Amino acid sequence: MKINFYLNGKETSIDTDPMRRLLDVLREDYKLTSVKESCGEGECGACTVLLNDIPVTSCLINIIQVDGGSVITAEGISETPLGKLIADCYQETNAVQCGFCFPGFLVTSYHYLANNPDLDEDKIKWALSGNICRCTGYRKIIDAVQLVCRKLADQELNHESI
Amino acid sequence: MKSKPRKDGLAKIIGKCRFLDDYSLEDMLHGYLLYATIDKGKIKNISYPQDYDLKEFTIVQASDIPGENIVPEPVSDQPFMTKGEVLHYGQVIMGIAHPELKTLMSFISAIKIEYEEEMAITDVDTCLDDKAFQFGECMHISHKDGAKVDPEHLKHIEEVFYTQHQEQAYLEPQGMLAEYDQKNSKIKITGTMQCPFFVEEAVKVIMGNAVEKVIVETSEGIGGAFGGKEDFPNLLAGITALLAYKAHKPVKIKLERADDLLITTKRHPSRVAIVSYTDVQTGKIKAVNINYRLDAGAYQTLSPVVLHRGILHAGGGYNLPRCEISGFLQQSNTPPNGAFRGFGAPQAIFAIESHLDNIARAIGKSPLEMREINLLRKNDKMPSGQVVKEDHLHECMQRILEISDYANKHRQFEQYNKDHKDKKGIGLVMALHGGGYTGNGEKDLQSKVKMRLDKNANVQIFVANVEMGQGAHTTLAQMVNEEFNIPLEKVNVQIPNTGKTPNSGPTVASRTIYIVGSLLQKLAAKIKYELKCDDLAGYIQDHQELFPKDYELSFKPDPNDDFDDKTNQGTAYHDFSWAACVVEIDYDPLQYKAKVTKCWNVLDIGRVINHDIALGQVYGGVTQALGWALTENIYKKGYPRTRGFTDYTLPTTEDMPEMIVEFIHTDSAVAKGLGEIPMDYPAPAVRNALIQAAGVIINDLPLTPERIYQEINRSSL
Repeated sequence: MKINFYLNGKETSIDTDPMRRLLDVLREDYKLTSVKESCGEGECGACTVLLNDIPVTSCLINIIQVDGGSVITAEGISETPLGKLIADCYQETNAVQCGFCFPGFLVTSYHYLANNPDLDEDKIKWALSGNICRCTGYRKIIDAVQLVCRKLADQELNHESI
Repeated sequence: MKSKPRKDGLAKIIGKCRFLDDYSLEDMLHGYLLYATIDKGKIKNISYPQDYDLKEFTIVQASDIPGENIVPEPVSDQPFMTKGEVLHYGQVIMGIAHPELKTLMSFISAIKIEYEEEMAITDVDTCLDDKAFQFGECMHISHKDGAKVDPEHLKHIEEVFYTQHQEQAYLEPQGMLAEYDQKNSKIKITGTMQCPFFVEEAVKVIMGNAVEKVIVETSEGIGGAFGGKEDFPNLLAGITALLAYKAHKPVKIKLERADDLLITTKRHPSRVAIVSYTDVQTGKIKAVNINYRLDAGAYQTLSPVVLHRGILHAGGGYNLPRCEISGFLQQSNTPPNGAFRGFGAPQAIFAIESHLDNIARAIGKSPLEMREINLLRKNDKMPSGQVVKEDHLHECMQRILEISDYANKHRQFEQYNKDHKDKKGIGLVMALHGGGYTGNGEKDLQSKVKMRLDKNANVQIFVANVEMGQGAHTTLAQMVNEEFNIPLEKVNVQIPNTGKTPNSGPTVASRTIYIVGSLLQKLAAKIKYELKCDDLAGYIQDHQELFPKDYELSFKPDPNDDFDDKTNQGTAYHDFSWAACVVEIDYDPLQYKAKVTKCWNVLDIGRVINHDIALGQVYGGVTQALGWALTENIYKKGYPRTRGFTDYTLPTTEDMPEMIVEFIHTDSAVAKGLGEIPMDYPAPAVRNALIQAAGVIINDLPLTPERIYQEINRSSL
């Protein structure tokens, strides 16, 4: 079956089994390896992508569900100014350890920061609670998201656009 | 103590770093394991489904093994694949490969296995006193430093502490890729592992004379390990290699999460019985007897090494003038348990720290008084007879009391709990962790490191120690660069490859920075001395004809270190890391739920190379320990068994307490072990805080609402 959708901003079309997992299509057909499989049951968030601007675990999405929609992966996000800023802040706080879960965190953080860059720790924790990291204890990930919030606020003060 | 940014950071954030599942080769087959789904018994018959063409599949079983069907381990007793006897759920029967993963998986799930089931043992208690279910001999430590005690005037307490299985839950499941090069009679393995040389040995054993050369390389990224990728990769690599050999094609096996959870190694469940005699007036523990048991699972593999570390940490951070410690390994019908951060020490520290609080309650002392009077101080002797050379544990304690305001809070919470429906509790614990291999381990390992300086003054570091998230490849480069002082991007650790890197030992036992890093730093200093230059880049520029050049150095043990493996007396570990911890919890009596709100940590790990990376180790280790303390558990009997992250409850952002971490003696000459100690202490701290908050004494983990409910209702009967 032919599925049409936008992938990282570009129109694309694929003829495939409509029940294949979005995760597998992205990894196997599009070679987008930022999308990681860890738990395969929607618990860990390592395969998070934006589907129509909402973070979803791509292991629970069948490819037919994205027909006519838009999918953005960590590859796409890391090309945007906000995505670059988040990646820089993760790096500045040395938040990464094994890194397997990080593309997923990048996607979820992007969604939070693009919509409501609030410094409040509880809100950040809630926003990121669907992504599991076994290495870091999350502290530096939260620090990094707060750092982005501060930088965004500074930029707003300086009338820079992002 | 500079926090340089991690070298691998950015590539991992944006998903450019290649993990094993991102590797793909032309003509590659997908492989998988067929394993037993009973706990104990015999395989009577295996029937393949009719609607598949068997010729499409490559199948290997025990009878196909050209070498030996034994996974090399400290005790080599586990077969790669069973010949028919099943001793645990997850015992591998076959390796199967096919070009299409989907076809492979549906074929495997359609294979029917008939068993003759037998009674299985899945816990540590069932066969406690039955020697038939004990592996090997008892390990023993006998320490008599104080005067013989008269039990009549002392408080005598006997207790038993239990801890459960814990899954490492690295986010990246285990995987291996094997390539067979028939022309050169060579197998190449790429995979997720902590110990490339162990894997090389395992592949050599299973392949025997069938191949001449085995090369093992780690994947570029390793998605967490925590000990879980220490021993199981030996088995996985062996079977993947055999499949590639038989198929004459590359084969990749990547475990699905459920299988990774069901069949790989876990933290050993423990049963620690303590008998102690304490002076009621002073609170001084005069004598103690500790019986430390681990459930090894179906095979011994590396369990004796875990047991050894366990008994050597069983006394905790306390001066126990007379003690007898014995260690036993129990056999059960669960997958063999293996390495997990802490390696026997968390179980030991949980028991002794919990016991200390129980004594405190029994004799009317505060938990702090018990620790003050019994703490292991400079010049005190440990159970191994090893003399403590520094008073850093005491300094950790002093500092934690200052920053946490423990003593005041402990008093305030007593009052608070009288006045409020919701409750609060605070717990204090001490910990120690020996760096590097136990006893003569490092002496026997003789780790070797290599460095190459090229014409452009790049420093390439060759070690077998892997980057699995802990930041080793950044920190090691920083240690070398403390000598060379060139731009850090010019100093790089190469991906471990057994054909190129010398054997600097496995990536375990908090030894990478402590042993391998120190060795690299010595080598760098030696090179600088030999070249008689402070400006490495300038020297290489002026002496182009001398480069590239390789330099090597091997580990030399301290001649004063002496350890007797039979009596367990002597220098158990050349250096110990020390820590003190306080946790504060909120307890909701309606939901029977404890939530850790604050966690203070003071650690002496010696010199801190990269402060951010060190902090990350403490944050991560503490989080794993909180999971072990509160939620993480494995179902062993009946169904459903724990088969995913839906029923194996890992801590999320919402479970994280406020974390306060301080390092002391950060300007020391030696950078000691750090990886494991943060896993050792938080669980008993939570448990001790729960005594104050909920008024219940629970001597086992995990402290789930169900467990607390059960204990509270039992107490009120």
